[in-house]
Amino acid sequence: MADYDLSKTIIPYLDRHLAFPLLAHLVETSLFPIEQVQAAQYELAKGTNMVDYAVSLFEQLHPDEEIPEEFSGKRDKAVSTNERLQLEAQAVLDVIENPDVAQALRQDKIQNLQYLKDNYNLTLEQITALYNFGQFQYTYGNYSGAADYLYHFRVLSTDNDLNTSAHWGKLASDILTGKWETALEELNTLRDVVDSRSTSTLLTASTEPAALTQLHSRTWLVHWSLFVYFNHPQGRTLLLETFLSPTYLNTIQTSCPWILRYMATAAILSRKSAAGGTAASSRVRHSIREIVKVIQTEEYQYQDPVTSFLKELYIEFDFEAAQRELTLADRVVGDDFFLGEFREEFLDNARYLISEAYCRIHQRIDIGDLSERLNLSRDEGEKWIVNLIRETRMGAEAKIDLEKNVIEIHRSPLPVYQSVIEKTRGLAFRTQALGTGMLHSPQQPQQPQQTQSQPTVVEGAR
Amino acid sequence: MSRFFRQAGDSDSDSEDSNEESLTSGDEDAAPQKPAAKPAMSRFLRTAGSDSSSDSDSSDEDESEMSDEEPAQKKKSKFMRGDSDEESEDEDVKRVVKSTKDKRLEEIEATGNVMDNALKINDWVAISNGQSHSFTHFAETTVILEFDKLLRLVQRQSNAAEPLPPFFIKTLIGFEETVNAALAREKEKEAKKKMNATNARALNSMKQKVRKATKEFEKEVRQYQNDPELFEREFASHAQPVDAVVPKPKKSKKVAETESDEEPILDDRFTTVGKGGRAMSFSPDNIFKTLKLVHEARGKKNTDRGEQIRILEKLLEVAVTSYQRIRVLLALVSSRFDYNSSITSYMPIDLWLSAQREVDQLITIVVADSSYAVQENTEDYDELIERNPATEREGVVRIRGSIISFVDRLDDEFTKSLQNIDPHGTEYVDRLKDEKVLYRTICRSQAFYEQTSQPEPLARVVMRRLEHIYSKPDAVVSALESSLTSSEITPSVILASSTTTSSLIHSLCIHLYKVDNSLLRTRAMLSHIYHHALHNDFYTARDMLLMSHLQESIHSADVATQILYNRTVVQLGLCAFRCGLIKEAQATLQDIFTTQRVKELLAQGVHPQRFQQQLTPEQEKAERSRQLPFHMHINTELLEAAFLVSSMLVEVPLLASIESEEQKRKAISKPFRRLLDFADRQVFTGPPESTRDHIMQASKALQDGEWEKCRDLIQSIKIWSLMPEAASVKEMLAKRIQEQGLRTYLFTYAPYYSTLSLSLLSRTFSLPLRAVTSMISKMIWNEELSASLDQSTGVVVLHRIEHSRPQQLAQVIADKVSALVEQNEKVLDIKLGGSGGWGDRGGDKGEKRGEQTQERRGRGDRTRGSVRGGPRGRGSRFAQGLGNQMTRVR
Repeated sequence: MADYDLSKTIIPYLDRHLAFPLLAHLVETSLFPIEQVQAAQYELAKGTNMVDYAVSLFEQLHPDEEIPEEFSGKRDKAVSTNERLQLEAQAVLDVIENPDVAQALRQDKIQNLQYLKDNYNLTLEQITALYNFGQFQYTYGNYSGAADYLYHFRVLSTDNDLNTSAHWGKLASDILTGKWETALEELNTLRDVVDSRSTSTLLTASTEPAALTQLHSRTWLVHWSLFVYFNHPQGRTLLLETFLSPTYLNTIQTSCPWILRYMATAAILSRKSAAGGTAASSRVRHSIREIVKVIQTEEYQYQDPVTSFLKELYIEFDFEAAQRELTLADRVVGDDFFLGEFREEFLDNARYLISEAYCRIHQRIDIGDLSERLNLSRDEGEKWIVNLIRETRMGAEAKIDLEKNVIEIHRSPLPVYQSVIEKTRGLAFRTQALGTGMLHSPQQPQQPQQTQSQPTVVEGAR
Repeated sequence: MSRFFRQAGDSDSDSEDSNEESLTSGDEDAAPQKPAAKPAMSRFLRTAGSDSSSDSDSSDEDESEMSDEEPAQKKKSKFMRGDSDEESEDEDVKRVVKSTKDKRLEEIEATGNVMDNALKINDWVAISNGQSHSFTHFAETTVILEFDKLLRLVQRQSNAAEPLPPFFIKTLIGFEETVNAALAREKEKEAKKKMNATNARALNSMKQKVRKATKEFEKEVRQYQNDPELFEREFASHAQPVDAVVPKPKKSKKVAETESDEEPILDDRFTTVGKGGRAMSFSPDNIFKTLKLVHEARGKKNTDRGEQIRILEKLLEVAVTSYQRIRVLLALVSSRFDYNSSITSYMPIDLWLSAQREVDQLITIVVADSSYAVQENTEDYDELIERNPATEREGVVRIRGSIISFVDRLDDEFTKSLQNIDPHGTEYVDRLKDEKVLYRTICRSQAFYEQTSQPEPLARVVMRRLEHIYSKPDAVVSALESSLTSSEITPSVILASSTTTSSLIHSLCIHLYKVDNSLLRTRAMLSHIYHHALHNDFYTARDMLLMSHLQESIHSADVATQILYNRTVVQLGLCAFRCGLIKEAQATLQDIFTTQRVKELLAQGVHPQRFQQQLTPEQEKAERSRQLPFHMHINTELLEAAFLVSSMLVEVPLLASIESEEQKRKAISKPFRRLLDFADRQVFTGPPESTRDHIMQASKALQDGEWEKCRDLIQSIKIWSLMPEAASVKEMLAKRIQEQGLRTYLFTYAPYYSTLSLSLLSRTFSLPLRAVTSMISKMIWNEELSASLDQSTGVVVLHRIEHSRPQQLAQVIADKVSALVEQNEKVLDIKLGGSGGWGDRGGDKGEKRGEQTQERRGRGDRTRGSVRGGPRGRGSRFAQGLGNQMTRVR
């Protein structure tokens, strides 16, 4: 099972602090020898200012050895730095927390700066102290404090690079404190920052490094967002929404194909919303189809039980193999840091997918056989199938013949009119959208907001 | 008039040398004369001819013609004959026998007239037919030609101490004005459009000439301008007595102004050469002197190149110091390359070999002693003195020269010789063996440039090296590389150190990716992709090709790179075929076969004729020089077989699956469909002979469900033996034929059955039951086949729905309407220029189509669209995310 563990692949794309939960999870799963994981944890902690944590890890690792000298020195240094930075930051904070100031601050950052400078003699350097302090707090594990300071800094600062950096820091802090709502917001703004930077810098001469940094940022973003997406209640749908957009799909295909596992799992998990929900966008509804396509093209680069499950089911239509892969995938999902909680749900949904595909292809199915395909006992299988028929739209078509122990499925072929209607549906809306697109284009050529808001309108209409 | 006397004096002084000079300068002068003297008008043909014949003698006779009566007589009679011929057409002629002088005057006038005419039509270049054929590289203009001639004639006149004819002066003045006016006009850019490049260039050179001439005749011109009548009278009076005195032809110099001015210098030179030749003692002391002489003689028409090479070889033997040897080698190699001046033919092989050896020697010297450097740009130094590191600044002797250009030239000459040698003879094979030494030289020079860290030539030489190995199988590469280990100078990357050819090529390419030169980068990338494809690494090759975005910019690349691109794409297609990725292979090869100019696009042969236009000789020559040597060719028959077989496997099931006529017209592979239709029309089909026959009959067998026959036919194609892994490819094809046979069978016969037993199907097509089930499931899932499986009885239940005509039509119209909307969206996308598009719902299908059309429009005359279909959808995704990030990938 250790072969399929992705921690090692993912950690390089994470912040040092974000890696701790992963390692902690590895300790629990005991996929790897526990000493090794602990050693890794220690190595990781050594580089941070979380001195006490590092020391405790060291004690765990070498119970009978002296604690190295460096730690105490480091500790003192950290404390003193903390004090110094806090002093600096406090000056700014005092000003900002003043209710008068809070009211006077506007949307315009430059104006704000001017205001602060004129009235309170606050300079840009002082504001940067907020950033420094926030960052320092982050390094010793005070994530919520860090998040606060970084937030304040971002409101005031005009420095683009530091702002982006603060963004990342805030996101990490939010993730680590488990505030998924704010983390999601943060993630979305950060995504906008990463995406928008491209359009502005891509137009300039130095396209190459810009494109490369963008690719890197996106890769990081993809990895970090896993924390959010698999913890936020709406996360899976959002994950599909994001990762299936062309830019991120590119990123995944080029630099981190292993994310396909999470995409595939998310697609399987969101099957229910896909089947019934009208609210989900078409991208989510067809996510499985899309992902299967991607899995097929990327097969040579990456495969694991989860992706092979989808492949066997939807490309090879080999139900036996799919079933085999599912057993494997089940364990993989259970062991995965992000997916572990969804194990049951995953299995459930995967079964649905199998039986759905099975029923669509077959006319008469032996219940025993199907139960076997689903890894269920005969009685359980029957119950399961009845539920399936009840839940899905197959009610009218499928009937169980208990005497012969088979399910009979009679699908009436799709009437021609239906297919014609299907094909022409939404044409009027699309044309309309075309018209609006045309109207808006002359005034705002290459207006990103405009162009991006368009499809959702259309898709809703469809 | 003093000028003319001086001129005469010059010639006098020449006379002593004339005998010595005659051997050399005689033919030298004649040679450049001919093209220039060839007039456009037939009227002057005769005289011009006699001109040159007399000219060739003139230099040795020069001033001695007075005593030499006999040839003069002969010449005179020649002229007379010429005159009598002209008599009828020339009304001005009053006397039957005209003096040479009159003749000349007439010529001057006529030339002036021609010039005037040409001026009127603003034709600075009017290459008449005759000229362009014989002297294509002489981009001379009528006017220039005529003007030169005019000057020459006048020169002769002045040599004869005769006054200038007023007509000439008049023309000159008028001409100057016209030229200035034309230039002025050009400056205003009005005439720019009218004048093509050659014309404009000609005009410029004209300006120079006119200015020179005007200066020359300044005095006369002024005289004339002051009082034209007086001038004319003077001329007339002078002409009278001369008329009587000139019974014999004038020995004159036909050389144009410039040359005659140079004459003394030239003479000096040749004297020395002669002396040097006689007294040439090959001693280390006067090496530089001799070298200088040889150097000066270089490029002159009458230099005996063979002799020069011999001299230099001897010099090399006596050269002692490194400096001397470098200098001599530099000269020797370049004179070897000079030996063959013709563009079409190649360098003699023995010369090439010795040149190669000498380049090697040169590199060895320079590498061994780092205090000597050969550079293209150096400070000026005295060529005649010995230099050594001690006397130089920084302790490095810098010598002007360029090793990279030698290496380039060696390589080019090698290719040229391969192009010209019959590839089926033993000579070709023998020649090919020389590649090894050439490759070694290239590697040595790479080592040299690595050592001296000169990035620019290093990149060039690495590219050369790469070009020698990228398309070769491993065995050949290791053979080439094997010679490297033995030599003492090795580049940083060799096969021995990097174990596999792939890693060797990888490291070479990596080096080139870092270079500034984008052309080298592109070529390195293509070679790299080609190499991957050759080694059946389809996915890597495809991803690299797509991520490089070359298909967008390749239209603007130079022809050689476009050819390389085509080769790469084709190799990629073959690679897909070998890997069993039939669809990809079909899509990749499709484009090149729809053009029907496969050979031409791969630079493996010129197509006999094209409908649109006949190629001019130059174009044809250029085309020919681009051709790849035979051993680099990709076998087109094999290529065709791969393409047709993959088309068959894609197209036949598709044909079977569609019922209505409307849909039938949409063919995936037009070339295949055409062939199939043709084969269908055949009344009688004999046993298959060609590859095509085999494939066509196989396709028919496949259509009838006889997959075994189809397989046998395909496998009996002989050309497969050229494929590296023939056996496995055949096996793969058999498997694909089984599968596609099953699909075709189901499509074709589904309407006639209500159930089909799976086990029967599995037996018929010798496929495992599981595979059959899986395939049928897939067809059901994709709604290609309206059927369902009955698990308990193990049969396929087929649901056949007959659509009525209106229903069919309704479906068609729905399709068309949605296609229309999609098309509109596409158009708007392009209009708005958004890469992501204002709506990214377009989906793969629409995207592909749009790109296809775009591609067709943008297709240059020599390039084609590229990978399409399957991989394309992904490519367009890459397009948005990545930019040109190849360096990152590997």
